[in-house]
Amino acid sequence: MSETTETAERTETATDQPLETTSGETEEQVREEWREYVFDGRTKLAAEDLDVYYGDDYALKKVSIEIPEESVTALIGPSGCGKSTFLRCLNRMNDRIRSAEVDGSVRIDGQEIYQESVNLVELRKRVGMVFQSPNPFPKSIRENIAYGPEKHGDLQTGLLARLLDRSDEDEREQLVERCLRDAALWDEVQDRLDDNALGLSGGQQQRLCIARCLSVDPEVILMDEPASALDPIATSKIEDLIEELAEDYTVVIVTHNMQQAARISDQTAVFLTGGELVEYGDTDQVFEDPRSERVEDYITGKFG
Amino acid sequence: MAGATEGDLVTGGTSQTNAVAAGAVGLAVLLFALALAALFEAITISEPVAGVPVVTLLGLILMALGGAVITFGVGSYLGYVETEPSPSAGLVAATAFSTIWFVIGGLVASQTAGLGSLGSFLVASVVGGGTFALTALPREDIGSTLPAGALTLLTGIVFVTGTIGPSWVWALGFEQQASFTAEFVIPVLTLLCALISGWAAAKAYGGFGARGRHIGAYVLVYVNAGAIIGVLFVLIAFTTLRGVPGLLTGFEFGPGVGPEVGLFGVSVALPFSLPFVMNGAALLNDFQGVLPAIVGTVWLVIGAVVFAVPLGVGAAIFLTEYAERGRLTQAVEVATNGLWSTPSIVFGLFGFAFLVPRFGGNKSLISGMLTLGFMLLPLVLITSREAILAVPDEYRDASAALGVSKWQTIRSVVIPAALPGVVTGVILGVGRIAGETAPILLTMTGGTFVPGGQTVDVIGGFQFTGAPPFVANPELLQATTALPFQLYALITAGVGLGDTVANPADFQWATALILLVVVLSFYAIGIGARYYFRRRLQS
Repeated sequence: MSETTETAERTETATDQPLETTSGETEEQVREEWREYVFDGRTKLAAEDLDVYYGDDYALKKVSIEIPEESVTALIGPSGCGKSTFLRCLNRMNDRIRSAEVDGSVRIDGQEIYQESVNLVELRKRVGMVFQSPNPFPKSIRENIAYGPEKHGDLQTGLLARLLDRSDEDEREQLVERCLRDAALWDEVQDRLDDNALGLSGGQQQRLCIARCLSVDPEVILMDEPASALDPIATSKIEDLIEELAEDYTVVIVTHNMQQAARISDQTAVFLTGGELVEYGDTDQVFEDPRSERVEDYITGKFG
Repeated sequence: MAGATEGDLVTGGTSQTNAVAAGAVGLAVLLFALALAALFEAITISEPVAGVPVVTLLGLILMALGGAVITFGVGSYLGYVETEPSPSAGLVAATAFSTIWFVIGGLVASQTAGLGSLGSFLVASVVGGGTFALTALPREDIGSTLPAGALTLLTGIVFVTGTIGPSWVWALGFEQQASFTAEFVIPVLTLLCALISGWAAAKAYGGFGARGRHIGAYVLVYVNAGAIIGVLFVLIAFTTLRGVPGLLTGFEFGPGVGPEVGLFGVSVALPFSLPFVMNGAALLNDFQGVLPAIVGTVWLVIGAVVFAVPLGVGAAIFLTEYAERGRLTQAVEVATNGLWSTPSIVFGLFGFAFLVPRFGGNKSLISGMLTLGFMLLPLVLITSREAILAVPDEYRDASAALGVSKWQTIRSVVIPAALPGVVTGVILGVGRIAGETAPILLTMTGGTFVPGGQTVDVIGGFQFTGAPPFVANPELLQATTALPFQLYALITAGVGLGDTVANPADFQWATALILLVVVLSFYAIGIGARYYFRRRLQS
């Protein structure tokens, strides 16, 4: 689903001063090249001419990208380049920031999410999110997992439900076990589901957050530097988990750690300062043979 | 204890001299405790202990303490004791010491030597200035010990020689005929000397310098913290000791002596009888009691909390979660703070002029509840707001990312996490309103002595009626009494005390004790609730 028809429009928005690239091409030409990047599989998410401002500050400039389903897409770039902002656009978490203004289009399975009639509850059930620092609720492990489905009315476990004999206790237990198994946490916590989640280690808490995210049966999982607050062992567990999840879910992950991006992702998108998406393609290609000089400098560490 | 200093990592051979300094610190603490005990009349200063009057004993300890401090300072200066003094004791110490010695010089000149005001001022200035120089100019080991030690030594001599004896009175000669008695002056002077010399001795113990100042500050801070606990303890002990005789008047223990208590239709006679909390006041009672006031206070607090907590927490949720920061929230903030600083008598007047006419024109329990509820409201609002703001935004983000609506997030995540803070606010507020006298004086209270039969029975008072509003509760519309008002009326007016109560002072103290117990019980319930909610968040 490459969109070559719109290339002419887009080049207007590219950087005013063309920069030299590795192959002697201008950045515009580079952009055109990766615009034609074709991946295997169906497009799950597509952003088109996405602009985000915080007040007068540009956070994202004309970002257009398509993300294939059931794969891992890494967003890398220096601090403040807009990759987290972009991630938060995909489930409209930016709506929660009052000063943020979003302009452009984001489609999931071809459906526009920036329009009046979008059901935010349904959107966020389909597009789950895992945050930078683990943020389990100060409740038991079981309650953390069951929280979403219970609030959505998919699980009836309240007093009234028990009195009316409509309680979904068994379904809840199955859901908790399935989510914890999928998040590779079941073996560690199965004996203490009633303990407070804040008593878990940082890595366990983060996997619990992933399990909680799975509980509402999402299609896309957005991860905002999910391992940056964890030690190397916990990080490698999270990375293994991400690779497993990519078999069933579309994972989009923001990371500062380029080795991590190279290890786990199928596609890599590089954002650079100013909120621009500078390069997007297969991870191997982006890391080994970047088309843009700025991206090469960034990846090799010459430029932050 | 070997001091680890910059010069030598380990200094040896100072254990004996340090023991002297440590002993001086111990003496200071002992004096501090004795002075506090004397101040609160736990010991009488004229009574002999082991043949020596307490005042002489205090004087002797003071002299020993002063001597020890001076000896240590001079010893350190002459090099007998290994210390690390700074070049000067500093301006703060100099100012404090010179002020004290200025006063002493002036007092001695005017009272003992009989100089006029100009002469006294000159002498005071010379003494004060000399002390300033003595403290600030020489090395720290002299500057911080000599003025303190001399002050303590002088006070001790004054006590021992009887210049200020147990029967000493200082008439100030003011119009008001105020005078200081020895019972007050001696403990206060002892307290002052113990603090100052204790500080100096602690500095000496640390070998002066940075370490000495650290230990000196440590002693002062600990003594102050101890004093705060001591004051609370003394206050409670004082009230308890005086209140217990009145409370136990007519106490009986044995099967069937107590009043009948009915619960679910089963009536049981209690195995003990405590008339003070089980009776009202009536002409034919053997023993008078304050049951109506206790029940009135409890219902008053419950009513105010039931009224104020939902309103305050609701407003706090609106302000923190929904309202955009702007004019409205600022206005509410200003109004809240203003409401919290409004004097309680103004609340009382408002209740009297606004609520009382609307609830049947008589003072009533419900008017009192609402008036106190209005007083409680701002504190509940302020503390709930702080507590909700303190709930991490991560919880809200996590919940929103699951697609859970804002109100459900507030209900299931934010409020449970904020509850301990809300409860803290309610505890503080209840402590304030339970002891309020002025508002209920104007809105709620009837006579000082209420017969036991008129004890308010809110639960039993509910009646169903055939006409709207279908539920009525005459008990809520009745004037009743509460403990703070009863205490106030007993002390200021003393209404009818002579006829109905054998020992009025006992009765008053017992009322005060019961008020303290009721308020502290609410406090305990609050702390228990806070503990419970915190545990739920953490385990």
